Amino acid sequence: MRTPAASRPLPRRPRANRNVPVAVGAFVVVLLSLQMFLLTVGLDAFLADQDGLAWITAAFSVLLAAGSAAFYRYLR
Amino acid sequence: MTTTGPGYDPPRRQDARQVPTFDPQDPVWRQDFPITAAGEDEVTRREFVRFLVVASGGFAAGNVGVALWSSLRSINEGEPREIVALADVPEGTAHLFSYPTDADPAILVHLPGGELRAFSQKCTHLGCVVYYQPGTHDMECPCHEGHFDAESGDVISGPPQRPLGRIDVEVREGVVWAIANLGEGGSGRRRGDAGATS
Repeated sequence: MRTPAASRPLPRRPRANRNVPVAVGAFVVVLLSLQMFLLTVGLDAFLADQDGLAWITAAFSVLLAAGSAAFYRYLR
Repeated sequence: MTTTGPGYDPPRRQDARQVPTFDPQDPVWRQDFPITAAGEDEVTRREFVRFLVVASGGFAAGNVGVALWSSLRSINEGEPREIVALADVPEGTAHLFSYPTDADPAILVHLPGGELRAFSQKCTHLGCVVYYQPGTHDMECPCHEGHFDAESGDVISGPPQRPLGRIDVEVREGVVWAIANLGEGGSGRRRGDAGATS
């Protein structure tokens, strides 16, 4: 059975503390869009039998993932 | 002990359902649907970036997988097979056949001047079949008006971005043979040397 205290609404945090910073959001949009673009290029290279382009695309993609991992470490 | 004021941090509960509350700064949709989850305010930058790292790593793994697959796969080059008697394909005409399997439509073109070329009939745009146009001596995909060079298979115009798959052919005792499937652009084996002369 619920107590009246359990059904009491939680106070909302100030808006500035709730939202993910816009800069981080923009970083996500740009980075993941670029990753999706690179995957598209890699698949196109695969279909065109262009192994070199596929590997270059993969290298860029790994570089971006490493950059995001470095960003993660930076945000300690 | 005070239960109000700016320093008060109330105990949190795990129940996702909350009693409606209204904040003048809330968007209209939240005022109309004022249900909040206990954890929705708890995403930190670091947690957010963790999702980013996982997603980005997933894309990177996919890209490496595609590159590996591209490097390790082998094109079905097919076995040498008779196509048609050369006399049955006059210059400026084409002959349809299947190669390397019966499910792979292909086209043999006898170009003016005696050169023979064979291509996969699948357009590299969306897979429609291409046809030889004797008037313009190019290959046309009727679906989206893609045009390919009948000599090299390269794209001339239209939406396709990649050349037609080439098939190596040669003439043996008056009969045209398909020797090997070379893939798009003729990169499978002997690029630029996939044709024959009648």
